[in-house]
Amino acid sequence: MTANTIKQADAHAVAAAIIFREARLLDTGEWADWVAMYSEDAVYWVPAWLDEYTTTSDPDTQVSLLYHDARRGLEERIARIESRKSITALPLPRTVHQISNLEATETGPDQIICHSVFSVHVYDPRVAREHLRHGRYQHTLRREGDTWKIARKVITLVNDRIPTVLDFYSI
Amino acid sequence: MNAASQNHAARLREISRLIDDRPAERIFAVDRRIFTDPEVFDAELRHIFEATWNFIGLESQVARPNDFVTTHIGRHPILVMRSADGKVGAFLNTCRHRGTVVCPFKQGRQKFHVCRYHGWAYDSSGRNISVTEEASGQYPPSFSNQNHDLLPVARLGAYRGFLFASLSADVPPLEEFLGDTRAFLDLIIDQSDSGEVEFVPGASTYTFDANWKLQFENGLDYYHFATTHSSYVDILKKRNATAGPDTGFTAEPEGEQEGQGSFSFDYGHAVNWSIKRTQLYGRPLGMDPARLDAVRQRVGSTRAKWMLRQRNLTIFPNLQVIDILSAQVRTWRPLAPDKTEMVSHCLAPVGESAAARTLRIRNYEDFFNASGLASSDDNVMYEFCQTGYEATTAAPTQGYLRGVADVGHGDSAHSRELGITASEWSFGPTSFGGETNFHPGYREWRRLLQHAAGETA
Repeated sequence: MTANTIKQADAHAVAAAIIFREARLLDTGEWADWVAMYSEDAVYWVPAWLDEYTTTSDPDTQVSLLYHDARRGLEERIARIESRKSITALPLPRTVHQISNLEATETGPDQIICHSVFSVHVYDPRVAREHLRHGRYQHTLRREGDTWKIARKVITLVNDRIPTVLDFYSI
Repeated sequence: MNAASQNHAARLREISRLIDDRPAERIFAVDRRIFTDPEVFDAELRHIFEATWNFIGLESQVARPNDFVTTHIGRHPILVMRSADGKVGAFLNTCRHRGTVVCPFKQGRQKFHVCRYHGWAYDSSGRNISVTEEASGQYPPSFSNQNHDLLPVARLGAYRGFLFASLSADVPPLEEFLGDTRAFLDLIIDQSDSGEVEFVPGASTYTFDANWKLQFENGLDYYHFATTHSSYVDILKKRNATAGPDTGFTAEPEGEQEGQGSFSFDYGHAVNWSIKRTQLYGRPLGMDPARLDAVRQRVGSTRAKWMLRQRNLTIFPNLQVIDILSAQVRTWRPLAPDKTEMVSHCLAPVGESAAARTLRIRNYEDFFNASGLASSDDNVMYEFCQTGYEATTAAPTQGYLRGVADVGHGDSAHSRELGITASEWSFGPTSFGGETNFHPGYREWRRLLQHAAGETA
C-alpha cells in the first residue's frame, strides 16, 4: 500500500464517521451535538435551481434556498424549533437520512472534501403524509486541534418543488 | 341558452352567493365550502383565473431577443417570448398539431421551438415556420387555409415591466384594471434610478396542501403576524440587540402617527401597510444613506417615506408584491381545492449597490418561501385551516370583520399624500390587523362568477 492510498483510506474513514454521525444526530433531534460539529464560520448552503440543469453559483448575487455563512444561522434555526413556537415543528416531522456513495479526498494537510448522496424520508405525523427528499452533499471538513469540524456543506436538492416546509433537519 | 348552460349559470349564481356581503348591515361572511368544494374550484379556474388579467412575469425575464419563460394562467400552460425583432408575446404553450407542450423548459433563449412529437416548428414570434412533410401530407385545402401559428393570449399588456395577460378579451383595459395599485408598483419601481426592476436569479417553487385563497388572505393579513411568526420575531429581536448600521434601519419622520392601514381598489386589489417607529428589520434602501438621499431628491420626501414603509400589495387574482426587509413577487397556481403551487421571486430595483443587493437576498431567504423562517409557518397554518374548513356544516368563519365598524370611504389623509383614490380604506393602531382589505377580492370573485352566469354585476 502506498502512502497515498493510506491517506485516502484515512480520509474516507474520517469523512464517513462524521457524515453518518451528523445524519444520526439530525434524525434523533440531538441538535446541540449536531451543530457543534460545525466550525463557527461554517458555510451551510442549499443552492436554488436556475433552470433544469444549473444551480445558483454565487450566494451574494443569486438567491439560494438556504444560505448561512456562520454557525449562528443554524443555531437560530434550532432555537426557533426548540422554542415550540414555530408551527412547522408542531408536531415535528420524523426523518430518516440515508447517505451513500461517499468519495473522500484529502485536499490539504488539514482538509478533506467528501462528496456523497442522500435520501431523506420525511414523515409528517400531523397529516400522515410522507415524501422523499434527495440530492447530493459536498462536505468540507477541517481539522481544528484534534477534532474534525464541518467547515462547509453544500446541499444540492434534486427535487426542488418543495412541499410546505424545508429546514435543516429534513435535508 | 340550452338546458346545460342554463343549469351551469344557475350553479354559478348559487356559488356566488357563498359570499355574504351586506355592507349596510355590516355583515361580511364567507362560506367554508369555497375552500373545499371541487365545483367551486372548477368555477374559479374557468371563470376567474381564465377570465381575467393574470400577472405572468416581468419583461426583464425576457430581456433579449428570443428569450423565453414558461408559466401558467389557470390550467393553461403559457409561453412568453421576445421575438427576434424585440416584441414580447404570450402564447398558449400547446402545439397546433396535437396539443403537445411546445416548450417544456422553465426559461432560456431559442430562436425556434420545435415540437418534439412530429416536428412542427415555431419561431419566437409564435409563427409556424414548418409543418413537417406538409407536401406529402395529402391535406385537404381547408388545412392549408388554416393558420398554424401558436395561439396568442386574448390580451397582453404591461405596466412598467410587469406583464399581465388574459385568456378572455372581455376584460377592462389593463390601466383601468390596475387602477391606483399602480402607485404602489411605482413605489418599488422608482427605487431604481432607471425605473427598472428585475428578479434576482434563484426563483423557488413550493406547494402547500390547502386552497389558494389561504395565500390570498394571508398576504393581506397583519393580524396573524405576532402569533404565527412569534418564533421569528424572537430571533429578530435578539439580532436587533446587536445590529450594526449596515442592517438598513430607517426612521419615520417626526410627528407621523403609528398604525396599520389598507386601501381597497376595484377589480379585487388591495394593499396593506404599516407605519412603525420601532422596526423589526432594516431594508436595502436604508443601508446606503447617499443613495436614499438621491432617491428622496428624485421622488420627493413623501413618496420616499412610503418606500420605507411595509407594503403588501395584492393584485387579484394571482399576484402579491411585498416590500419589507426585501421585496418578493409571489404568484400562485391552484392545483386542486386543497393544493396550491407557489412561485416566488426576489424582486430588486436595477442599479442598487452590491452590498444592498446581498442584504436584499439574505433578508429574502430569511423570511420567505418554504425554507424561510416566516413563510414556512404560514404554509403549515394554511394546511391547519384547510383541515378546519372540512367542518363544512359549521357556521361561516368570523375572519372578515376587523375594521368593518370604521371602514372609510372617499379620501383619507394617507390617500391624499399618495394622490390615489381607493374604494375603501382603513386605519388603526399597530395592533389593528384589519380584515376589510380581504373584501375587494371576494367582491371581484363574486362579480366574475355572476358575470359568467350572465348577470350584470
